[in-house]
Amino acid sequence: MKNKRKWLAAPYGVWAAGFIIIPLLMIVYYAFTSQESGQFTLSNFSSVFTATTMKALGLALVLAVLSTLICLVLAYPLAMILAGAQVTSSAFIVLIFVLPMWMNFLLRTFAWQTLLENNGVINSILQMLGLPALHLINTPAAIVFGMVYNFLPFMILPIYNVLIKIDRDVIEAARDLGAGAWMTFRRITLPLSVSGIISGVTMVFVPSLTTFVISDLLGGGKILLIGNLIEQEFKQLNDWNVGSAMSMILMVFIVISMMVSSKYDRDGEGALF
Amino acid sequence: MKVLKRVYMALILILLYAPIATLIVLSFNSSRSRAKWGGFTLTWYRALFQNEDIMNAFYTTLMIALIAALLATLIGTLAAVGIQSMRQRTRTIFMGVTNIPMLNSEIVMGVSLMLLFIIGRIELGFGTILIAHITFNIPYVILSVMPKLRQTERSVYEAALDLGATPFYAFRKTILSDIMPGIVSGFFLAFTMSLDDFVVTYFTKGPGVDTLSTKIYSEVRKGIKPEIYSLSTLLFLMIFLLLIAVNMASVKESKKEIEKNAAHLAKYGRKRIFTRRFVFGRVLPGVLCAALAVGWFSSRTGKTFAAQNQVVVYNWGEYIDPDVIDIFEEETGIRVIYEEFETNEIMYPKIKSGAVAYDCVCPSDYMIQKMIDNDLLAKLDWDKIPNIKNIGDMYMKTSEQFDPGNLYSVPYCWGTIGILYNKKMVSEPVDSWKILWDSRYKDSILMQDSVRDAFAVALKYLGYSANSTNIQELTEAQQLLMTQKPLVQAYVVDQVRDKMIGNEAALGVIYSGEAIYTQKENPDLEYVVPKEGSNVWIDSWVVPKNAKHKENAEKFLNFLCRPDIALKNFEYITYSTPNEAARELIEDPAIRNSQIAFPDESVLERCETYSYLGSDVEEIYNRLWNGVKSS
Repeated sequence: MKNKRKWLAAPYGVWAAGFIIIPLLMIVYYAFTSQESGQFTLSNFSSVFTATTMKALGLALVLAVLSTLICLVLAYPLAMILAGAQVTSSAFIVLIFVLPMWMNFLLRTFAWQTLLENNGVINSILQMLGLPALHLINTPAAIVFGMVYNFLPFMILPIYNVLIKIDRDVIEAARDLGAGAWMTFRRITLPLSVSGIISGVTMVFVPSLTTFVISDLLGGGKILLIGNLIEQEFKQLNDWNVGSAMSMILMVFIVISMMVSSKYDRDGEGALF
Repeated sequence: MKVLKRVYMALILILLYAPIATLIVLSFNSSRSRAKWGGFTLTWYRALFQNEDIMNAFYTTLMIALIAALLATLIGTLAAVGIQSMRQRTRTIFMGVTNIPMLNSEIVMGVSLMLLFIIGRIELGFGTILIAHITFNIPYVILSVMPKLRQTERSVYEAALDLGATPFYAFRKTILSDIMPGIVSGFFLAFTMSLDDFVVTYFTKGPGVDTLSTKIYSEVRKGIKPEIYSLSTLLFLMIFLLLIAVNMASVKESKKEIEKNAAHLAKYGRKRIFTRRFVFGRVLPGVLCAALAVGWFSSRTGKTFAAQNQVVVYNWGEYIDPDVIDIFEEETGIRVIYEEFETNEIMYPKIKSGAVAYDCVCPSDYMIQKMIDNDLLAKLDWDKIPNIKNIGDMYMKTSEQFDPGNLYSVPYCWGTIGILYNKKMVSEPVDSWKILWDSRYKDSILMQDSVRDAFAVALKYLGYSANSTNIQELTEAQQLLMTQKPLVQAYVVDQVRDKMIGNEAALGVIYSGEAIYTQKENPDLEYVVPKEGSNVWIDSWVVPKNAKHKENAEKFLNFLCRPDIALKNFEYITYSTPNEAARELIEDPAIRNSQIAFPDESVLERCETYSYLGSDVEEIYNRLWNGVKSS
């Protein structure tokens, strides 16, 4: 019986092979062949290791790390507050915090354009208060802003999900044994929530690193991230080989973060749901 | 401490809801400008329901999300049950593969699927989007069903078997009902993921098929229409109500779950059945009804055409009067599938890859030359396009520069590139590209985000040819563009127009055709072709070699060359028409003899047409331009 049942996964196996594995192999194939002759070559990677691409990759890394850190700093206290809320109201409060996530991603980002613009809402308010206007739009700061805003719920949820599972008895025991609030947090709560933090970090880091939409909408075309370059290679320059090589470099970072997350989060505890 | 917590929560809530509130407020703003409040109005809501494009995109989005979520739920649930009964090693492999789409970046996934579809000769369209969505949906279903499966007790299932149930009956009654909440939440997760997806759809979509996300993206790049605000308000409201409803149903369950103990789960079966009934009984049919209602609505407004009688048109953004398409459809019964591109460079790979068979495309001069060189175009049958006689001889002659013998192209619009400036913000006379390097206008300069146009500005300013292939000249131009970058507010294409009208910038590089329109909207604007010279261009219609409806394409082109139609088009898009017969019909002599629309010889003498420089030089241009943008 048990052996027969495993064949239920067969349709998925076929689907995954066709639409997950083979496409990825195609990227690898394209990355290592030349556009003209189709022969094996490493020249695509030499186009990747140029100043322009490395700069875009470096900037993407810096902005992604920044936005991940900001998300973590903002989300952790919030997740703690939410986890500590009354059981009856917690589900509703959590809903309020993740609701914006269901709003169309492009609309949300676009709305920030309206807020950050030179004659936008924020500057109008500053003007009314007699404060000097800020130049926000089309800067790296605006992009970090957009990333934090879009991906914050991905940090809140996993941490919250781990925190509510912590046995309150453990915390009380620590307090009974004389640990202060800080000590309890550092020695009990924090270590127990590592899996949530890790999965939150990957969930924010990967999309931030690879985005091209946020930099496009909030960067005014002045700031190129690695995602923008890949999009360009495929959609404008028509150089699939170099584009694939760039994607492979990007995948290296994704694989690293996957490995880190699976090391700490073996049972999928810190999942989004 | 409690106050501190409240304040903190409030701050984050403000952060999260500020943009949404902005969108809602703007949806009631009667002024088109985002910066001004012009009074309360419901116009944009009415406009939204009359906007067929947006409604169609909305319907497509719902259909794709629904079908993708249903199929993914089916495949995913079966897979989860199967994986659960696998041996450890196979299970690890399957779960590893399942994690790929979850953790992989969307862009890599989108690109890889695009490669697969193009190489597998699967035509990009509704089907490819659906396949892509199912692919990224399945893991969400599996990962929400798996934990529930782990909690099921085998003994209950075995007890059912012992009591005489058939394996299928026992499975349905014990395991399936236990994992139902996982299946339902997997479905909803998949549904919302697919509703919200942009990146994967963007890479796997074909012409004429747009989901809301891709539609919004192209609108945002063009300068947003206020209908989008009302759409987002309605969407938010819908989602809000839906989530509240679902949440109400599951509050009780999740409360229990927090205190839960896996072994005791069975006890609360009744609560779960309640949830299930609620979801299947109210929410799901609600969603289905909404989808069908919208579908009925849009199919009623859409006209009916014979399935294959169509022409697939690929044109610049805002480059045709929508009425012209309607008239054509009415007169001929041929359905026009219309799609837009932003720059020649975005258009080219789509034609080259052959993934989509367009029937009519409207590239510029140098790009037509490139397409001819690469054998991508079909020769036109001039007998089928008798109206070509209306096009002025001088335009046909100019066309020979890129289309020797006039074999492939029908001139559509022409013009120059110049500086559009706001007289209120720029007091000095503007006659040179030099002003774009004047630091007094820092953050008030808009540059074209298009490689040839940006380089033409710098090359001309330096006194070189806009077709320069000299690496030293090009590097010099690149340096110049780099020094300009700190002064530039943004690199944009179609947005120059709206930003200049909205007084958001003082100077912008723009095509002459936009100048007349922007002046109508904002009389402070003035257009000039700098004394150092500029580019004069022609955009012409061509038919790609792989066109499936070449005859319809020729009918369409012949129709566009009809004087009354060309005139109607000119009045709408305000780009100079090469159609002499149409120009004579222009009633307003100020426009008929406008120096902007129809500049005289002295201006044109300073201007140069772009020519195709070969793929090697093209690559140098692109590399240098990327260098500028990432500097």
